[in-house]
Amino acid sequence: MRAHLALATAATWLTVGCAPERPANTSIVIPTGVLATSPVPTLTRGRSQNTRLAELMFLRLAELSPALVTAGDDGFVPALAQSWERRDSVTLAFQLDSRAKWHDGVPVTAADVLFTFERARDPAINAELATVLSSITEVSAEGDGTVVFRFDRSFPEQLYTATYHVQPLPAHLLANLPPDSIAGSPYMEAPVGNGPYRFDQRVPGQRLTLLANEDFFLGRPGIERVVFLLAGDADARLNLLLSGEVDVLQSVAAVDVPRIEAEPSLRVIAMPGYTVGYLLFNQRDPADLDQPHPILADRRVRQAIIHALDRKAMVRAVYHDYAEVPQGPVALPHWIRDTAKSGVPYDPAQAKTLLRQAGWRENDNGWQRDGEPLTLSLNYPTTSRGRSQFAQLIQEQLRQVGITLELVGLDGPIWFERRGQRNFDIDFSAAGMDPSPSGMQQSWTCAAIGGSNVGNYCNPAVDSLLESAIYGKGNGLATWQAALETIEYDAPAAFIYSPPAIFGINRRLGNVELVPYGYWLDLWRWTVHDGAAPDATD
Amino acid sequence: MSRWLLGRTVQAGGTFIVAVVLMFFVMRLSPGDPLARVVGERQISEAEYRQLQKRFGLDQPLAAQFGAFVSGIVRGDLGTSISHAPSSVNSLIRARLPASLLLGGTVLLINFTLGILIGVWQAVHRGERLDRWLSFLSLTGYALPSFWLGLVLAWIFGVHWHILPPAGMDSPAMAPDAPWLARSVDVLRHLILPAATLSIVTIAATIRYQRTAMIDALGQEYVRSARAKGLSVREVVWRHAWRNALFPVLTLFGLWLPLFVTGSVFVEAVFGWPGLGALTADAIGGRDYPLIMGTSILVSASVVAGTWFSDVLHMLLDPRVRLG
Repeated sequence: MRAHLALATAATWLTVGCAPERPANTSIVIPTGVLATSPVPTLTRGRSQNTRLAELMFLRLAELSPALVTAGDDGFVPALAQSWERRDSVTLAFQLDSRAKWHDGVPVTAADVLFTFERARDPAINAELATVLSSITEVSAEGDGTVVFRFDRSFPEQLYTATYHVQPLPAHLLANLPPDSIAGSPYMEAPVGNGPYRFDQRVPGQRLTLLANEDFFLGRPGIERVVFLLAGDADARLNLLLSGEVDVLQSVAAVDVPRIEAEPSLRVIAMPGYTVGYLLFNQRDPADLDQPHPILADRRVRQAIIHALDRKAMVRAVYHDYAEVPQGPVALPHWIRDTAKSGVPYDPAQAKTLLRQAGWRENDNGWQRDGEPLTLSLNYPTTSRGRSQFAQLIQEQLRQVGITLELVGLDGPIWFERRGQRNFDIDFSAAGMDPSPSGMQQSWTCAAIGGSNVGNYCNPAVDSLLESAIYGKGNGLATWQAALETIEYDAPAAFIYSPPAIFGINRRLGNVELVPYGYWLDLWRWTVHDGAAPDATD
Repeated sequence: MSRWLLGRTVQAGGTFIVAVVLMFFVMRLSPGDPLARVVGERQISEAEYRQLQKRFGLDQPLAAQFGAFVSGIVRGDLGTSISHAPSSVNSLIRARLPASLLLGGTVLLINFTLGILIGVWQAVHRGERLDRWLSFLSLTGYALPSFWLGLVLAWIFGVHWHILPPAGMDSPAMAPDAPWLARSVDVLRHLILPAATLSIVTIAATIRYQRTAMIDALGQEYVRSARAKGLSVREVVWRHAWRNALFPVLTLFGLWLPLFVTGSVFVEAVFGWPGLGALTADAIGGRDYPLIMGTSILVSASVVAGTWFSDVLHMLLDPRVRLG
């Protein structure tokens, strides 16, 4: 009996009391809901996990400065290119940093940039990227260190176009592979980059580890090992942070913020994100897409719905003080956003006036026109906790002005399918955008109907304004603002929220800077203070 | 006997094939776009969407997709996952199977040792206070939702007391050159909470089955004869009564064999356990057709194999089955 007890005690001590010590080096762990499968940029525009991880291993020619202004040549900081010069209105030349090397020791040259752009501009490899880069007519090299870009016309975002979408890849490892075989090549499993971190190992279904590139030409990373740990469930990820097993938690729900703040070893950082959530009005009848929508084709009804929504109150209820109501389809960090503009005001009386002007009459059963009730349905993905919460609030606010809204919560893939088929009255969309506002053309122009413009919104005046703003024909910011104001007046959607990216961070990490368009871009500058007292001032 | 065995095997194989074919068509005919996860919140053009469809063979007619699936099965290739591209389904299953086997195996081991022991003890001591308490406790565990219990245990032991890791299968921060023993202990520490959760919510069935069968066996003539012959209680219980009270538990074991392979969706999710259950749930949520088929084949095979296994065991242990 005693022997059994001793054995049980020993086993318990081994398993419960014998927690493994963190290694002495500076190692951090970041849990993720989806593990990156092929963190190779440019060739694959897959899931964001791949893109974000790729930013630790591959440099762009230049990065956006903290102002995040994508127009002009001044709002950028050197990365793989140490400098650039404008030779004329359609020509830009980049001087590569001669210290830059691939992780296998081979120098980064202009040949790498040429090779990568050749692949990136091939529609057979990535149709979307090829379209984005279509304004580049030629990429050429001058020796090993200079790359020259020529554009088809003059426009303010030339430098952004040449730098943001493409991170150069190693030509010496990939040029001999046929384009269609790169996706299945061993390189995708263990990529060789040129950034502050190099690939170490990927344990499928468990973790992916990066190691510091000690020869990184811009400086030695402060953290030696970064582990991305797969934990699919949001509660499991939160528990890992609260228990101290991991150091950084991304995509924290606003409702979980108090739990993190209550833990002395942790702190919360919120950062504006490039996402906008909006109620997209279908202007075509979902039963017959050739016909206008019987209710929502009328702009006054759409405007009435927006006036009936107290968007600020809803945003506060769901995101507390972290999110804001966007100005049109523009996220908070977008440089064209005018913070002084408050957008369409909450005005239920005006909503009713507009409905009356549109021929609707209010009675005890709500609004009716020609015997038909004002009843609409809202499709939303139940996988989105935020949108599910908003949907309830929106239904209640519309009920207060007499509009009946049926909520149709759908499994993610079904919601996506119906959205693509234009099979909805109102769709609760969320768009993740690039730092450039020019992406608006994809969803809010007549030419995009049949593609991303699933609400079938078309106003040639907006098309013209966006064209002028993007190609610099008008007065830059003023033209962008005019386009936004026209879109808000047309009310193709009710723009509800621009959410933040909220992070829970262990205080042992110092110098923490997060970049809105690439969370981990500056991770190599972070530091770890093992054993140090929590930094209350951070 | 061999004819009986052959018949059972052919029947199991047929069931498996029908199940797999049905799953293929039912899944593809159900609503939902498998590219939803790949696209996410990006705004993509029609051209990129078509390119993605082509990449995963979703632009092909249903018959052609089925042909490609069957030809892949013949080659042992389950295709490429849509959500986890470019990873193959084979590699994903290979990566996740060990974790499921470890968790499922541990739970089955606990259930069919501790569960049998408790069930037999309760039958022998039927009506005593401890018997009533054990019945109450095991049924309470059975009634608890596994995800709720998991969250509570993770919070108490992982977050509040910090004595066990609340999620994961091992400590990612552990030094890469840590010795084998330290790594094993680390995995064991991570295994405790998910295994305990699953065991608590499932062990009641084993206990109840065993207790009922044992009470029935203890009332049989041959047991009374054994007692009358003066055999010890241990001999009467384990050598005479228990062997005949084992059949219902064997049936249960066969039915639970899939747990050995798939673990539990909820428990794996709550504890971030990198097993097949979580992978399957993720695949279904994303309509990842190749991955759903891959995991479904595994689940179907384990269900059919479990049933076949319990049938064969019955036949071996009970002559009435093979002679009847």
